[in-house]
Amino acid sequence: MAVRMAELGHVPTGALALSTLNRGTLLRKLKQWGMHEVVRYAKAKLLPQIGHQRGRAAGNPYLDPLLKHEHGSFRSLREVAAGYGFPLAFCHDQNSSESIAHLQEWAPDLIIFTGGNILRQQVLDLPGLGVLNVHLALLPQIRGMSTPEWSLLNHVPVGITIHCMDAGIDTGPVLQGYELPEVARCESLSDLRNRLIAFGVEKTGDVVEGLVRGTISANPQSDTAPDNQFFVMHEWLQARAAERLMANHRAPTTGAVHE
Amino acid sequence: MIDSADPRRSKGDHQATEIIGQIAKALTEATGLLLAPQRAGPLLRKLVSDKLRITFEQRHLYSYTQTTRLSEETLNALLRWLFHAQRPDGGIAAYYSLLTGYSESYPEVTGYIIPTLYDFARSTDNSGAVVVAQRSARWLLSLQMSTGAFPGGLHTGLHPSQMQPSVFNTGQILQGLVRAHAETKRSQILQAAIGAGDWLVRMQQPDGSWSGPGAYQNAPHTYYSMVAWALALLSEEVSDDRYGIAAERNLDWVLSHFRPGGWIDGINLRGHPNYLHFIAYVLQGVLECGILRRRNHAIQSVAKSAWTLLRKFETNKYLAGAYDTEFKRGAHFTCLTGNAQMSCVWLRLFEMTSDLRYLNAALKINEMLKELIPTGGGQGIAGGVTGSYPIWGPYQPLRYISWGCKFLADALLLEGRLTQSLEASTFGALQCAS
Repeated sequence: MAVRMAELGHVPTGALALSTLNRGTLLRKLKQWGMHEVVRYAKAKLLPQIGHQRGRAAGNPYLDPLLKHEHGSFRSLREVAAGYGFPLAFCHDQNSSESIAHLQEWAPDLIIFTGGNILRQQVLDLPGLGVLNVHLALLPQIRGMSTPEWSLLNHVPVGITIHCMDAGIDTGPVLQGYELPEVARCESLSDLRNRLIAFGVEKTGDVVEGLVRGTISANPQSDTAPDNQFFVMHEWLQARAAERLMANHRAPTTGAVHE
Repeated sequence: MIDSADPRRSKGDHQATEIIGQIAKALTEATGLLLAPQRAGPLLRKLVSDKLRITFEQRHLYSYTQTTRLSEETLNALLRWLFHAQRPDGGIAAYYSLLTGYSESYPEVTGYIIPTLYDFARSTDNSGAVVVAQRSARWLLSLQMSTGAFPGGLHTGLHPSQMQPSVFNTGQILQGLVRAHAETKRSQILQAAIGAGDWLVRMQQPDGSWSGPGAYQNAPHTYYSMVAWALALLSEEVSDDRYGIAAERNLDWVLSHFRPGGWIDGINLRGHPNYLHFIAYVLQGVLECGILRRRNHAIQSVAKSAWTLLRKFETNKYLAGAYDTEFKRGAHFTCLTGNAQMSCVWLRLFEMTSDLRYLNAALKINEMLKELIPTGGGQGIAGGVTGSYPIWGPYQPLRYISWGCKFLADALLLEGRLTQSLEASTFGALQCAS
């Protein structure tokens, strides 16, 4: 996301990253999940990094073209920050006083939040243009978690929504919604997620440009009822969503825009 | 749950009796351990394992989205527990206590375990479950009072004429009798069911509730919707609308206690918190009675309450063992039976509405419950469902309870039926209710 913004001429004033493999996080997860799940979690976090360091393909392949530069490819946010010359800070919690101090120092006009947690009002109020989030489904139909999978099972077009965050869960005003083109080409649920993330990065750039030019404005959601909230999906239903995805193999669609 | 009533006692007498009863219970349980010191090992092991688990492994829902134990294995273990719990007289024990061992036979649970036994037999071709169900039904027939009622409490060997009739227990037993008749077509069972149904209709108050003689603590309770469900079943079985009308009268009375936010008043158990078990009883009774009597408003009312609990489960990662009014504050323990009952409610709501979020929540809560079922430990423990998790929680502490096994078995049987039919279908017709 930082590269996309920088390429459009909006070099970030700073980037705040959540450290995932620190002692505190691991201890908390050990308590919540038990040893077996923590080992699995650590493996999932560590193996892509090891693969990346060995030069193997890792992460999201659809982001690779964006990460290319004249001397190679950016392999981490640290390299992106060094390449474009903006500060990078690590934190354990986006809502901590330490994080807020960084954000106050950088005084951004706009925050783009790529995480999945809830932000405190103090953070939401910091930038004048608001906090943008890419939600991996069309709003207001599908809010919450496991949203691409729920979209598939509920016959809602798969897509993304770029919206301004508020105190609720995916209830903020919508800037733009986009259906994902070529869903039929997806080979698996993880492939679908990777495509959605890359699509979200690309479209966030368009939305930020629109905000700067004043051609895009935020519209309150027509329905913020809690009934539209979805939750983490059980693996049995995920398998059904994957079947639906595979059954949908068909000619590429163009992808519609939802304003 | 244990529900017995003595209409002749005043409120003060009731309180004194309850306190004395609790002291006597504690002493009996402690004495049980002294008489059978070999139980100290399993007791200590369970206390330590629950303590370790809640301290170091506070699992939450993201961990319960994957299957680590097969539902079929757990189902077989639960049914084995129930088979072993059948006493020589033919009744099913209420519980296996880590202090005192198996309890006496419990008529109420013996009755409403019968449908579970037949469902299991049908699903797995297990003829052993049919034998247990038939023995249970025979024993229940021997307990029926001349009025048609069935007694409350554990079976202590008294003659039916010396026992106190109980509305709730008669309703729960009626469920079993209706199913036993549907399976066997024995006229003796049919007559017993009609006798019980007639007594329940006679005992019903003009407002549709059951209170006074035969009602627990002489008071009306909304969780007696389970009795309404039994009457609705009887109405279908014998094609007599008198029972259906009585069921709907109670349904209307219970529905008048539903608040807009989903909370249900009138559980009304003096001296007890609003355990999830009773909240879920209200919902199960209203839902099943509503389905049988084609009352959409009842189904929608249950859906509202069930959705409130579903959101609590998904966001807090567990359902509390007891709730304050309006589901405001949850107790810090889990009532496993209540969890299993909510799984049944969500699964049935999925069946009625096609909203996959109900199925999703049920699948996850079932994963959690399956992981808490012991695979070893001998009879009474292996395959058992504790009253509370951790085991020292206030709902049926230090006990593996037969109705916990019944409801989890119901949930897993329902899960199996619904997931199999979904896999067999195109899956394309499903949509979310919202």
